[in-house]
Amino acid sequence: MKFRLLLVFLLSLVVIVGCNPTNTDVSTGGENEPENESGNDTETESGSESNESSEPEEDVTLTLWHIEDGPSGEAIEAAVDRFEEKNPGVTVEVSQQENDPYKSKLVVAMGGGNPPDVFSSWGGGWLEQFVNAGQVKEITNDIDQDIYVEAALSASTYGEKVYGAPIGMAVVPVFYNKEIFADLGIEEPETFDDLTAIVETLKENDIIPFTLANQSKWTGSFYLMYLAERMGGPDLFSEAYNRTGRGFDDEAYIEAGHKLQELVEMEAFPEGVNGMNYDTGQSRQLLYSGKAGMQVMGNWLVNNVRDEMPEFEEKLGFFLFPAIEGGQGAKNHIVGGVSPVFSVSESSEHQDLATELVKELASLETSTQMANTAGDISAIKGVEYEDPYVQEISDVLESSEAMQTYYDQTLPPELAQVHLDTTQALIGLSMTPEEAMAKVEEKAKELLD
Amino acid sequence: MGEASTQKHISIKVQTKAAKKRKEILAIIGFMTPALIIYGVYVIYSIFMTFYYSLFDWSGIDNNFVFQGLENYITLFQDEVFWESLGNNSLLVGASLLTQLPLGLIMALLLFSPIKGIRFFRSVFFMPFLMSTVAIGILFIFIYDGNFGLLNALLEMIGLESLQQAWIGKESTAIWAVIATVCWQFAPFYMILFRAAIVGIPEELYEAASIDGATAWHRFKNITLPLLMPIIVTSAILSIIGSLKYFDLIYVMTMGGPNNSTELMATYMYKQTFTNFNMGYGSSVSFSMFIIAFIITLFILIGERKRRGVE
Repeated sequence: MKFRLLLVFLLSLVVIVGCNPTNTDVSTGGENEPENESGNDTETESGSESNESSEPEEDVTLTLWHIEDGPSGEAIEAAVDRFEEKNPGVTVEVSQQENDPYKSKLVVAMGGGNPPDVFSSWGGGWLEQFVNAGQVKEITNDIDQDIYVEAALSASTYGEKVYGAPIGMAVVPVFYNKEIFADLGIEEPETFDDLTAIVETLKENDIIPFTLANQSKWTGSFYLMYLAERMGGPDLFSEAYNRTGRGFDDEAYIEAGHKLQELVEMEAFPEGVNGMNYDTGQSRQLLYSGKAGMQVMGNWLVNNVRDEMPEFEEKLGFFLFPAIEGGQGAKNHIVGGVSPVFSVSESSEHQDLATELVKELASLETSTQMANTAGDISAIKGVEYEDPYVQEISDVLESSEAMQTYYDQTLPPELAQVHLDTTQALIGLSMTPEEAMAKVEEKAKELLD
Repeated sequence: MGEASTQKHISIKVQTKAAKKRKEILAIIGFMTPALIIYGVYVIYSIFMTFYYSLFDWSGIDNNFVFQGLENYITLFQDEVFWESLGNNSLLVGASLLTQLPLGLIMALLLFSPIKGIRFFRSVFFMPFLMSTVAIGILFIFIYDGNFGLLNALLEMIGLESLQQAWIGKESTAIWAVIATVCWQFAPFYMILFRAAIVGIPEELYEAASIDGATAWHRFKNITLPLLMPIIVTSAILSIIGSLKYFDLIYVMTMGGPNNSTELMATYMYKQTFTNFNMGYGSSVSFSMFIIAFIITLFILIGERKRRGVE
């Protein structure tokens, strides 16, 4: 009897133990809590492996988390292969993840004290959170700063200290359908008034002027960033962010909000813009099908087009967001950003090797491959572009006088969220510019002062 | 002599009885321990830790815990987004109770009606529940789309153009659009529960009632419904708790937007914890969720016990 009891107990234990890993496997795709488990699971694995490897002549395993897919992902794999060849006995465990879940997964891994040795980010305020938490290794003297484009490296530099090495950059022009513009005899705009005239012409011809999927929020933020820069000049944001002059409730921001709502009231955006999702392609469908004429979007749109509707590429043109008369900004001030940026965890047991891996990842070879296969602009100097599109966009970047990094990646996440939420509310006409900007400024005071 | 032997006999009997009982208890403990360990670690411990974290100002990624007592809760009570999300949760609870359960019951009853090809409908009815939530979310994003969505096209076809709108793009309609999707997804779940319960009702009761001349409505009102009551109460609890901690479809379809109009407590907790790096505050949101769900469940259970007592 007792024996049988013991057997049952043991059996149930076996079942439990057997169940656990499958459970976490299944949950990798889900959200919220399951993420934590699977995140911690990979962690403990890598942790124990690196423990073993601390003995000499044992194999070393590094973990690398990144979110590049398609051709960019292949470029990462190629860099990892090169690294493994140069460092025999070192294995890199690469974990490629999805964009949004990745953010929460890394937070949990960092909080649990078992982060990957090398991880990717966008620099800016998001990476700064981890830097401030003492989770990221400073690599100022480990990397050769001269090989990087200054504007790109600045995204992961905090107070003269460098915490990450960038590979690619992106800029945000206004893409448009050349065929529609030619048919209607529209010229690329020089001023904001030209732009509103185009909006009206397109409306008259039953074409949605700007396609925008603003459930994703960062998409709508592009418009506000441009309008604010065109009104208040390139220093407006940095003054507000660094608390050295004008604030987020400055006249220029409020005027930018009014201009944005002016566009909304002209019906420049599709019906139900705040419910459309960028990731499912709702905005791009309108562009591809000729139902919409323009889209303010990062140059990765070219990648999307090649992937989703290659025949549209010949119709795709772009211009820079026009200047506003009387504003302090200029047409060649661009909004852009850096991605990916690779950093080393402070708690990594093989910091030196991990730093070497970062250098191999953020190298000329990787960025050349990314530029030529994925259409990314390089954050590393000296890349020869084979793709005329990328060359053209890269020229734009080089000739620009100022670059505004994305607010939502530069600001601390909590403030970024308020910026995104209020901008969405502005586009939904459920908040006045005065209210919206006051709300951002209030949060900024709380977090930045 | 005789007396002594019976006494001995009795004492042996008592002994074996006690031994048997001890064995039984051991067996019970043996069976329960594994589950209890899991339950303890993943539920009880987590609940206490959530409360513990909610007393701190903590980002979730560093070792910088700042104890601040109940301040997170004070902030929470003044946080309009939290109240809005609680309101949305209540809407979802109400809508789930008023649509999912009746719909589930109607579908379950339909399955027992002598309609040809009903077996086919059993699969059709159950289909929504089999689909992955993410797939449902994306499917309905396209159905609700303001420009080329199925729903708007349908409205145009039947001449109701005036009702056309961007269903999840507007603050006034977004929450209802999502709630409708949630109900569509979960009604089949209750259908299955009710169907199983109806199968369990003895056929004789219906036969006897028919002999007494009861109509279909009477049979439903006086036999089916009372006998289904326990399962209806269970379903109601499941539905209420499920609605209070609901997360998935909102996350997929609206991310709580536009302008927080579809925010639920769970999505707000997620946002605070993982997007805004406020693990402490996020924990206070989730602990409040737990308390609310706990109290409501308690009320239902007490109500149910009283009702039974009356009967």
